[in-house]
Amino acid sequence: MAGAAGGPQQQQQQQQRVACQVFPERRAQRGSGQGLLSSVFSSDQGCQRLLLKTLETNPYVKLLLDAMKHSGCAVNKERHFSCEDCNGNVSGGFDASTSQIVLCQNNIRNEAHMNRVVTHELVHAFDHCRAHVNWFTDVRHLACSEVRAANLSGDCSLVNEIFRLHFGLKRHHQTCVRDRAILSILAVRNISKEVAQKAVDEVFESCFNDQEPFGRIPHNKTYARYAHRDFQNRDRYYSNI
Amino acid sequence: MADAGGWRPPRPCEAYRAEWTLCRSAGHLLHHYYVHGERPACEQWRRDLASCQEWEERRSAEAQRSLCESERARVQATRKHALVWTLRQSPPADWHLPLPQEEKDQ
Repeated sequence: MAGAAGGPQQQQQQQQRVACQVFPERRAQRGSGQGLLSSVFSSDQGCQRLLLKTLETNPYVKLLLDAMKHSGCAVNKERHFSCEDCNGNVSGGFDASTSQIVLCQNNIRNEAHMNRVVTHELVHAFDHCRAHVNWFTDVRHLACSEVRAANLSGDCSLVNEIFRLHFGLKRHHQTCVRDRAILSILAVRNISKEVAQKAVDEVFESCFNDQEPFGRIPHNKTYARYAHRDFQNRDRYYSNI
Repeated sequence: MADAGGWRPPRPCEAYRAEWTLCRSAGHLLHHYYVHGERPACEQWRRDLASCQEWEERRSAEAQRSLCESERARVQATRKHALVWTLRQSPPADWHLPLPQEEKDQ
């Protein structure tokens, strides 16, 4: 299994290999610099503009940023986000080795999409911040974070699934979460679909029901705002039950 | 639970009303069915709203007890599954460190 643990050097090589599958330009561009030429010809400015709007206005993201700050991982836009060109049709990723969220500027279509991608990756960052997640050595941990991200980001909303031509209603959300978690695992790990599926099955019950920091599945911005209100009220809440 | 002298409902009464209203909405019925395959249960929010209002008006001890019991049950429900991972005692040490290329530049 690609996630097997090795010595420190082997583990570091494995980390780079995992990230390079999706973001092969990252290692090459580091050191050569991404300066003016890149920003003129790429959609970096558009990505940065969309990102700023999301960070400032989206209720899902604002709650996650608050929760991370509360856990000691205050997020700095310049340090913890990077707009880059990516292979394939991946929209983004969380690079645990550098504590950075990568946004695939060539694949993020619009504001709504940016909202969803940032939320999804911040769930991973939040998990990295509050727990010992063995991203590279335990596929169950990766599976758990992907289940949570698919569940809580709006990835599996009824509307998004209909746009994907996946028609289902009764309990379809859970089917979507499982399927998208498996797809996400396969995008970053060189393992079989069966292994990914088994990992998701093993952790699903626990991780689907772990809805921190929202405390509920935020189906739309109203739910996200209520969840943020509850988060801001938590001191009063826990001292009075 | 804080002592009776300093106690107040865990949420403002408006929050209970908002949750009860959201729970009974057509949108929530659809979302809940889409996730769980069944209708949502909203009665507990109504009871909690009534308890909250009763406490605000009459400082009823029974209302206080009922609210605490209800909210503790909610908290317990979120904690019934064992976590896959171990929680940290402190955030990752390298979260705020500069990126490796920035170190090289410096």
